Amino acid sequence: MQVFLDIVREYGFDFLEGTWLTVQLVVISAILGFLLAVPVALARLSDSRIVAATASGYSLFFRGTPLLVQIFLVYFGLGQFGFVRDSILWPLLREPFVCALITFVLNTAAYSGEIVRGGILAVPRGEVEAARACGMSTAKTYRLVILPRAFSICLPAYSNEVIILMKGTSLASTITLLELTGMARLAASATYQPIQVFVIAGLIYYLMTLIIARIFRVLEARYNRYITDAR
Amino acid sequence: MVTPNGHGNGRAALEVTGLRKAFGSHEVLKGISLTARDHDVVAILGSSGSGKSTFLRCINLLEIPSAGEVRVKGELIEMTQRRGEPAPANMKQVDRIRSKLSMVFQQFNLWQHMTVLENVTAGQIHVLGRDKAEATEKAEAMLAKVGVADKRSHYPSQLSGGQQQRVAIARALAMDPEVMLFDEPTSALDPELVNEVLRVMRSLAEEGRTMLVVTHEIGFAREAANKVMFLHQGLVEDEGEPRALLANPNSERFRQFLSGSLK
Repeated sequence: MQVFLDIVREYGFDFLEGTWLTVQLVVISAILGFLLAVPVALARLSDSRIVAATASGYSLFFRGTPLLVQIFLVYFGLGQFGFVRDSILWPLLREPFVCALITFVLNTAAYSGEIVRGGILAVPRGEVEAARACGMSTAKTYRLVILPRAFSICLPAYSNEVIILMKGTSLASTITLLELTGMARLAASATYQPIQVFVIAGLIYYLMTLIIARIFRVLEARYNRYITDAR
Repeated sequence: MVTPNGHGNGRAALEVTGLRKAFGSHEVLKGISLTARDHDVVAILGSSGSGKSTFLRCINLLEIPSAGEVRVKGELIEMTQRRGEPAPANMKQVDRIRSKLSMVFQQFNLWQHMTVLENVTAGQIHVLGRDKAEATEKAEAMLAKVGVADKRSHYPSQLSGGQQQRVAIARALAMDPEVMLFDEPTSALDPELVNEVLRVMRSLAEEGRTMLVVTHEIGFAREAANKVMFLHQGLVEDEGEPRALLANPNSERFRQFLSGSLK
């Protein structure tokens, strides 16, 4: 027990700093990823074969290769292209934080896109017809009926995706980011107490999972009222 | 024919000419024509598979007719060909005409994520461009008319089938439609809930709404409609004034249908 207290006293601030970086990665990736997931899902469902095939290729690539490989490809790969190094975005693109963020957003959007696509397909056909029959255009039907309905259908599955994303951010430590896992690795090699250090890190991840689950419970209570109230 | 409630007395609200619809090689509608004047109530009867629901869905283009013309208040819905298939020429026109043809569905099709009140205001606000206060006032009046005013903040899943269908009728009425299309509005209801919906529909007929009603309720057809149309195998097999026709059908097939339905 004493060892834990010593580690917390010595490295508590580092753990907080690492946790804060993890939170930033998760929140930004989850929000941007979800926003990107909607166009990905719509593109997957598009009547245009080119659009659907492009979206499907993107989705298969990011779901079909390991996240770690994707992080390396973005972090080490982008700099191989002259036009990337010459672009005005290069000072941003060489930052490990930005590389990690790009990877997480693209990765989570590929998975979430499938969740959203499933949600859109699960909206009862009759409700869509009712919208069209009263004169709503395709765009209005999406905005007022299909997307809000799909959103609430997706919510339970989407909480899973955010939890998986949160754990995936630990891979950012491989490209020098000192998020929670990165900090834990530093502390472990400094103290020679890897078990205690990683138990602490694991507990923090677990607490964050509980918080995410809680947030989704609140969201579901708000947006799925129309389902739960009837039970 | 002119009746006290104005049946058959108005100008043409809806004219359908030579409507055909094929799904692949299967021809469901083989050329159906119908004129509904203002205040007409047309009951469309037929056994299942006769094409009566498809006919109704072709009028507001939920199904795209293979051939034929639809005119609403004299305005022709323009059609064109796209990749060899018939298609509406102008979706803006279709959306505008659809807002004049409110539809009531067999499965109610209320938007589950909206409250009853929101279901009745959404079309008014987002299609007709009414402001929220005006739409709410109209919605409350329509909900009161169909007898579900007290359910305004409920979600559809909290209501019985009969209540949901009455909300769906209020939603249709709130659009101030030229013609109301009813697609088997009582077929998904428990027998004891059928009457509460039929009562609302009768009152709409009495106040002179123009209605096309696909139904199995022969009683409703006899008492509320001023015209009956019997479809069989994609064609109009028999049509006429309800009381005379239902008492003495011209077509043998219609006679069989009526004796089978025992009403």
